Amino acid sequence: MKGRAAVATIVVLAALGAFGATTENTYYLSVGYSIFLYVALASSWNVMSGFTGYTSFGHVAFYGVGAYTAAILMFDHFWSWAPAFLAGGLAAALLAAVIGWPCLRLKGPYFAISMLGIAEVLRIVGLTWESVTYGGTGIPLLSALSLRGFYFLMGGVALAAVGVTLAVSRTRFGLRLLALREDEVGAETMGINTTAHKLAAFVLSAVIPGIAGGIDASRVGFIEPISTFNVFITIQMIIMTMFGGRATVLGPVIGAVVLSVVREALWARYPYDYQALFGVLIIALVLFMPEGVMGVVQARRRAAKVPAP
Amino acid sequence: MSPALLAQGLVTGVLLGGVYALVALGLTLIFGVMRVINVAHGTLLMVGAYVTFTAANGLGMNPLASLLVSAPLLFLLGVLVQRFVVERVVGAPELQGLLVTFGVSIILINLALRVFKPDIRAVTYLSGSLTLGGVAFSVPRLIAFAVAVAATAAAMLFLKRSRLGKAIRATAQNQTVAVVCGVDVKRIRLVAFGLGAALAGVGGSLISIMYAIYPEMGSLYTLKAFCVVVLGGLGSYLGALLGGVILGLAESFTGLYVGTQAAEAVAYLLLVAVLLVRPQGLLGERRQ
Amino acid sequence: MSGPILEVREVRKRFGGLQALAGPSFDVPEGTIVGLIGPNGSGKSTLFDCITGTERLDGGEVRFAGRRISGLAPYQIARRGVGRTFQLNRLFGRLSVLENLLAVRGPLEGGRAEARAHELIELVGLTRVTHELAANLSYGQSKLLEFIRALMLDPVLVLLDEPAAGVNPTLLERIVGYIRGLRDRGVTVLVVEHNMGFIMGLCDQVVVLDHGEKIAEGPPRQIREDERVIEAYFGR
Repeated sequence: MKGRAAVATIVVLAALGAFGATTENTYYLSVGYSIFLYVALASSWNVMSGFTGYTSFGHVAFYGVGAYTAAILMFDHFWSWAPAFLAGGLAAALLAAVIGWPCLRLKGPYFAISMLGIAEVLRIVGLTWESVTYGGTGIPLLSALSLRGFYFLMGGVALAAVGVTLAVSRTRFGLRLLALREDEVGAETMGINTTAHKLAAFVLSAVIPGIAGGIDASRVGFIEPISTFNVFITIQMIIMTMFGGRATVLGPVIGAVVLSVVREALWARYPYDYQALFGVLIIALVLFMPEGVMGVVQARRRAAKVPAP
Repeated sequence: MSPALLAQGLVTGVLLGGVYALVALGLTLIFGVMRVINVAHGTLLMVGAYVTFTAANGLGMNPLASLLVSAPLLFLLGVLVQRFVVERVVGAPELQGLLVTFGVSIILINLALRVFKPDIRAVTYLSGSLTLGGVAFSVPRLIAFAVAVAATAAAMLFLKRSRLGKAIRATAQNQTVAVVCGVDVKRIRLVAFGLGAALAGVGGSLISIMYAIYPEMGSLYTLKAFCVVVLGGLGSYLGALLGGVILGLAESFTGLYVGTQAAEAVAYLLLVAVLLVRPQGLLGERRQ
Repeated sequence: MSGPILEVREVRKRFGGLQALAGPSFDVPEGTIVGLIGPNGSGKSTLFDCITGTERLDGGEVRFAGRRISGLAPYQIARRGVGRTFQLNRLFGRLSVLENLLAVRGPLEGGRAEARAHELIELVGLTRVTHELAANLSYGQSKLLEFIRALMLDPVLVLLDEPAAGVNPTLLERIVGYIRGLRDRGVTVLVVEHNMGFIMGLCDQVVVLDHGEKIAEGPPRQIREDERVIEAYFGR
């Protein structure tokens, strides 16, 4: 089973690489890029919210701060793309460390609302702090790479995000995140420093969106606060993870692939109603499949492991 | 700071706060009974605003009379949303409530965009202001305030005095006990969501006579309502009223002394600050 | 038997208008089993919460192995070797039995923790459900799992909150055996229980709380005849 999974992974990666290296179809390349972007974002959201159960309803904050950091460094300070993108990741991690300390004391709905509030505050900051962010005018950026280059770069970031999730899920660290999701008081009395665990997961879940934000800003060639700190980006991270299955490695990947394709298809066919259709999709998903694809798979697997009574 | 300016800030703030309180009361009512954070609250408000817009500009109705349409219409919409969507996530982790109400919200926004186009619109109804002792009272705001206070008072009276209102409060307090005492909690939830939506709708109608409206205006008011509710304490009715006035005052004074752009950020800053310092809100009780 | 492993000193805790703990003091000698009894609402569980750091004390202090532990975070207290179970179980429902044990951050890590976990699972006869989710266990099984989960901390002191409640006689006998086994290995046990037969048969010492105050302390036989205890339970 393990060996087969490894072989399958290598085959899929090789196919994606070969495809990226040879195709001349820019539409497919950009769809591939966008899928990678959401694999990275959804996997990162999952590391925090899937594993700890703390719903970050403002994870776009990290994407946005990464995007702005990279954009400002490239536009105003002439940094080259690689260090600028990494700096975006660092800035996002710093933000997570700073807001995580107070916010992670909040439970349930309070944490969700606080994250939503923080993402909105950042949007307002982006709009009003014109001397640094250029406000609503936005920042134009030269495309740092070719489309093919972006495809591979984001592909690498997505791979890193999946790797992080895999590492979390295979270690005691991840197990302890799940434990505190199940019962925080119980976890704490079993020797788990829940505050440190939550904070570590939060910071870890912010880095990759920060890097991806910078890359995406450069790929789009322009950023401004309203589309950068857009709730819809957070919602997609959440809904993709949920579709695939929270607290699993493959869940966010499956969700990002399937729902990105669905989103593109809806957008192409129903440009005026795609938002509403996505709304219907969200509701249907939550009502009928809250544990996602992997949830169903896991339940079956477990049933096979446990002998019948 | 001159006394006249101070008085002006107070008046503007309180007038605005009255409408905020009305809208937030609906949100806190829904949260109290359902434990669901209604992300679609501002969008329901937007629907109310467009009902008034259609009634006034399309049918030539008096904008105030349109309240008699927007309130029952939004009540019905709320009941439908509750019956077919929210009811199924009651008792589930908060994420599910957040997501389904978000879904409802973007469906309604999409519909509004289709029907009314993304243009910014306004309802023209009375203008100018009364001046009293050097302080200007904008007429539309004065009227909006008066109506908001009346509607809030009616809602509070209903919750405190009527049988149904008492049942709603009992359900919010302790659902299990309510069930044991023979309360039909499913019906209570329908009424609660309907009433919450109606309050948002009335708020939207009132906002439409003061400000420009557009299909995506909702998210702004959702967050303002969150701010008010968190300020007062999630689930606390009096807290919502107090929080509404506080937000109104904070916005009006920031607008006067710092600038209008900063006034827009006040709600968010207040929201985050309160969550960090006193997450249970001013009048809320700490829950385990 | 040496000096006290746990010293409770005039601990006070108030919830709103209710004085849950009104300053009781007592010692738990190392290597003994001490029972903590008292009518409902007398402050037993609150005392457990205060010892393990889940609740903050308003006054007084708790010392463990000669050092003050009140004020420390629950996880710090746990890592010093204080394990506990809860009145209503606090298992990690959507983790398997094995994972419940491996999640514990005790002195053992990696493969050694895993070996110990399997050992404990076998000890209490849960081998068949090793990979079952904790949420799917029977009541008795979950009591046993919570018990061995506390042992993953390799504790010096174990606090058991009503281990016998709702448990059938056969299982009860097994639990008594496990607790005695702990004491034989030098582990100290502080146990809250309503089942008097259980307490009187098992404990070396008994502490009685009523309305947050200590009203009696001594060996079981003496407690059984104590006027104030009889009054607290049957009087008024």
